[in-house]
Amino acid sequence: MNVLSQNVALAASAPMVSEQYDDARQQREAATLGMWVFLATEILFFGVLFASYTILRVLYPQGFAVASRHTDMLFGTIETGVLLSSSCLIALAVRAVKLDQHRVAVWLLSATAMLGVTFLVMHGFEYYKEYTEHLIPGIDFKQPAPRAHAVELFFCLYYCITGFHSLHVTIGVIVIVVLAVRVKNATFGSQRYTYPELTALYWHLVDIVWIFVYPLLYLVGRSG
Amino acid sequence: MNAHATDKVAPVSRYLWVLAALLALLALTAGTALLKLGAFNTPLNLGISVAKTALVMSIFMHSTEGRRLTFMVSLLGFIWLAILIGFALTDFTTRALVPAPW
Repeated sequence: MNVLSQNVALAASAPMVSEQYDDARQQREAATLGMWVFLATEILFFGVLFASYTILRVLYPQGFAVASRHTDMLFGTIETGVLLSSSCLIALAVRAVKLDQHRVAVWLLSATAMLGVTFLVMHGFEYYKEYTEHLIPGIDFKQPAPRAHAVELFFCLYYCITGFHSLHVTIGVIVIVVLAVRVKNATFGSQRYTYPELTALYWHLVDIVWIFVYPLLYLVGRSG
Repeated sequence: MNAHATDKVAPVSRYLWVLAALLALLALTAGTALLKLGAFNTPLNLGISVAKTALVMSIFMHSTEGRRLTFMVSLLGFIWLAILIGFALTDFTTRALVPAPW
């Protein structure tokens, strides 16, 4: 009985090691490796869109420069800053979890989620602006003739890339909110932080995707 | 006592310095995009993006601190993507587009 209660107490604080692993560290390394494999598939998911972008930009360099100037550079720049800051905050949150600073971690995770929501709201304003400027291919698209086709292709990619990216941000915000609640309930700590760490890896990748989206969609032809 | 003493925790200042560097690079990329650098604008912007990614991966994601295998896998996606875009471009830059006859 005494041993059993000791085990229960241990299980609450220590990581549960599945039987195929030697110890908690090996288990954590396997989980991290698996997450990186998943992130590699995510890079390829966005990669096909970036590959399409590259080909079309090689075919229509002028059209893409014209189209890119229709995007809102100020909003794009602020959104990039927002995501970079959120990446820093979630990295600090994982650090706090490792140090058993649960309150700090919850605050940092909440702030990260808030920045994610800020990003989504700003993108919503951008989409609305593009709607009013008749830049929705197939539904409401009116542009002057010479480069209209290339501009339309650019905006097809723009909505695909930013749409899927925003979907990833949305999923990230939900996962981070769930994580914040679980950290608040002291599910994680210095002995058990794989889940927070993997969540952070996902969020950083969403940030990295945007780091490349920003110059490719917002900064083309700005000097022309 | 911490059972995972091997996992050293970096000081907060390191994360904040990296954030400052990332925001400085963002300002640099936004600023240079407005300069007339001709063909160099795009390579410069992408170079800055690669630098930002390297900072995020090495410091925020700790990709270089774990096992070497994990680090290699962390680069896999980018290598595959380079192959995808590289081979697609060899096609599109060396062949003429032939319009369909119908």
